[in-house]
Amino acid sequence: MSEATASRNAPDTADTGKRVAFRGGGFAPTRKRWIGPLLFILLILLIEWGTRTGVISNLTLPRPSDVLATFVELWDSGLLWKHLGPSLGRLAVGATLGVGAGVAIGVLIGLFSYVRAGLTPLVAAIFPIPKIALLPLFVIWFGIDEGSKYALIALGTFTPTVVAAYGAVDNVDRSLIRMGQSFNLSWFSIVRKIVLPGAMPGILSGLRVSLAIGIILLVAAEMLGAEYGVGAYILEAGSLYDLERLFAGVTILSVLGVLVNASVGAIERRLLNWRV
Amino acid sequence: MDLHLDSIRHAYGSVAVLEDISLTIPSGRIVCVIGPSGCGKSTLLRLIGGLERPASGAILQGGDPPAGCLNPLTFIFQDFALLPWRSVAGNVSLALEDHGLPNAETERIIGDVLARTKLSDFRDALPKQLSGGMKQRVAIARALAVNPAVLLMDEPLSALDSQTRALLMEDLVGLWTRRPFTAVYVTHNLQEAVLLGHEIVVLSRRPGRVREIVKLETPLQDRRVGDPDLEREQQRLWSLMREEAQAADQELIDV
Amino acid sequence: MTHLNRRGALGLMGAAAAAPMLATPALASTKLNVGALRFTSHAASFVAFERGYFSDEGLDVSFKFFQAAQPMAVAIASGDADYAVTAVSGGLISLAEKGAAKVIGGALSEEAGIDGQKILASDAAFKAGLTTPAALEGRSFAVTQAGSSFHYMGSKIAAKEGVSVSFKPLQKVGAIIGAMKSGQVDAWSIVPHIAKPLAGSGAVHIIGDVADYIPNYQVTTVFTSASNAANERGKTEAFLRAFSKGADDFNAALVDKTEGEDGAEAMVKLIHKYVYTDRPYDKAKPSIVNGAMRINKGAAMNAASIRDQLDWFKSEDLVKQSITFETLVDASYVETF
Repeated sequence: MSEATASRNAPDTADTGKRVAFRGGGFAPTRKRWIGPLLFILLILLIEWGTRTGVISNLTLPRPSDVLATFVELWDSGLLWKHLGPSLGRLAVGATLGVGAGVAIGVLIGLFSYVRAGLTPLVAAIFPIPKIALLPLFVIWFGIDEGSKYALIALGTFTPTVVAAYGAVDNVDRSLIRMGQSFNLSWFSIVRKIVLPGAMPGILSGLRVSLAIGIILLVAAEMLGAEYGVGAYILEAGSLYDLERLFAGVTILSVLGVLVNASVGAIERRLLNWRV
Repeated sequence: MDLHLDSIRHAYGSVAVLEDISLTIPSGRIVCVIGPSGCGKSTLLRLIGGLERPASGAILQGGDPPAGCLNPLTFIFQDFALLPWRSVAGNVSLALEDHGLPNAETERIIGDVLARTKLSDFRDALPKQLSGGMKQRVAIARALAVNPAVLLMDEPLSALDSQTRALLMEDLVGLWTRRPFTAVYVTHNLQEAVLLGHEIVVLSRRPGRVREIVKLETPLQDRRVGDPDLEREQQRLWSLMREEAQAADQELIDV
Repeated sequence: MTHLNRRGALGLMGAAAAAPMLATPALASTKLNVGALRFTSHAASFVAFERGYFSDEGLDVSFKFFQAAQPMAVAIASGDADYAVTAVSGGLISLAEKGAAKVIGGALSEEAGIDGQKILASDAAFKAGLTTPAALEGRSFAVTQAGSSFHYMGSKIAAKEGVSVSFKPLQKVGAIIGAMKSGQVDAWSIVPHIAKPLAGSGAVHIIGDVADYIPNYQVTTVFTSASNAANERGKTEAFLRAFSKGADDFNAALVDKTEGEDGAEAMVKLIHKYVYTDRPYDKAKPSIVNGAMRINKGAAMNAASIRDQLDWFKSEDLVKQSITFETLVDASYVETF
């Protein structure tokens, strides 16, 4: 019967009145996988064409194929690892210290009113300080070698992590905590089994931001006294006005950022598979 | 184990919520608490369960909880309060973990309560995979696992649709018939009250006072929806509450 | 011909046409920007400006001040500055390779008998035995950036002594001074007016002279954009003439000291308008006097030294191997030796 009405209504609208106009389109983002890479490739091709024909002068942008050649050279000579190794080490140690301390302090702020009252203003005061400005001070405190670099990255990743962590603890469903109390769970059990897992989504999304900041600070950290490192490589290329090396270095940082983001995503998928 | 409430009074700041509540919850019976919204039903339940402290008055336990009781006063919440990152079995196990039971015993209890709530096949499912009714059955299983002396149920069915509610009501009746338990059941649904309550406590609007206590003698397993006696009882409760509910509805909310 | 735009200049740039035009200072009020650092080594430009040598040539000069040589080189390439004086750095060579900059003359030189750049050791390193450059083996040597003149000096010193040092890039002179004082780095080389007060405070020690390792070192050069060098011959020569006059005055007053006390005093006062402006005159004077190193007469250029520097940058793989002396330098303006 429904078929019958449908076929009768469709062609013969004049008989039954005006068709209702559809007006529910748009505002619903859908996933278009290939647009991003396509645009990226087009842009690269455009720059390549521009630099080859001279529309874009070699002072303005390097030729993408030359950047690629520089990168291949870096790879072949083994210099890539010589630069990447120390940088990854600095990022790993600095970010581990910063994120670890940040989560710990953030959770304490979330749990204890006295800690909150004492530390939130302090964290708010530290947050907007450009950590780069403190680098000379860190050199005196922690030495010009790895210590000051670890400290800079650690401090840079610490503050956003604290804010993310205590926000995440604040957002843990209070009814779950009350449920824990109603079953007489110990304070420690409630923290470990309810508060921490409940805060995990917020902590992990904070981690994305913190690690991106860590990568940014890598360049700043390697301003002082670093012979090797991606940041030192970029700074050296800048001072030599060597655009090919500059872009090769920046590309390495971009790729590093994408990889870090992807691994946080993988951790999220593993740890947060319970999310709806 | 009985519970005695001795002239309980409670206030949030200057707003009195409960006034002079005295009640006895006898062992092995289900006491339903009904009243207009905002009358302090849920507060009363939290006071009984020790999650809040009354402003004055006392809540007393009569006798000892039964042997093997891990958590004498156990809640079942309206919003289920399941940990979304734990499986069905994991959520039940949460209530047992702090008691230092041997693993085998924990496993036995989990298996037992999941069987009693017909959840054995969903042991490893996560809450996000379950319907609302199933989630509340998990919460009931978790409550049963600690072998409670008194179950404190805070509108456990009101987040569910009416069909699921009917099914869960049958489950609750079934559970009680097989092994009677003591319970305080807070609801605003009069039908639930007449189907489940051995006693029905009617509270007035805020500040909540006990207006009347109705005792129903029909055994739980014999109560049916549409039973004329129960219908009449439900009508009478509604006439008791009607004016209060109307007045409560027109109050400005300034809590 | 009161107004000369670039196209007009290009049209007139036949060799025959250019000659009569240069004879008269008819470049009336040609505006140009001169990049400078607030260092005594840039004094020739300040003198030429203050004593009207630029305006005599019809050049309407305004200064653009920079914090470091590197951005100054980039400003020349971008056209924000027309002429500047700075050390030969990797950045400058790379910009020359891209056809953006050209060295056209010489400025500061190391010269036997005149106080030149010093080699410094931090107090901690000095006490641990770094009392001569020969003891630099395994020490750290401060540089602003890889490819800077500090890097060149350190590398030459180490090569001559047959030792290996590690270079610590610290970006800024201020950061290096801090690191030297706190003993975070072991050694450095710097112009005398910075070296002497530091050594006087006891925080660092002077352990040698750069001139002993790099004789006749052409420390700084005059450079401009490649298009100025190729196409604006009149303007460029006018600039160099005025600059040389300023340099002569400066040498006479403070290096050769032929002008007597009064001449020196007048010169220091003039320079104090630009350098150490944050200090009172009495305190600034010794620093300015100490910093006086010879500025080449007629902006003559030590081509051998520049060649040596270029070769060093190539050998360190800091710049492209394909760069030749001619890419970097336009030797047609000044005398070379």
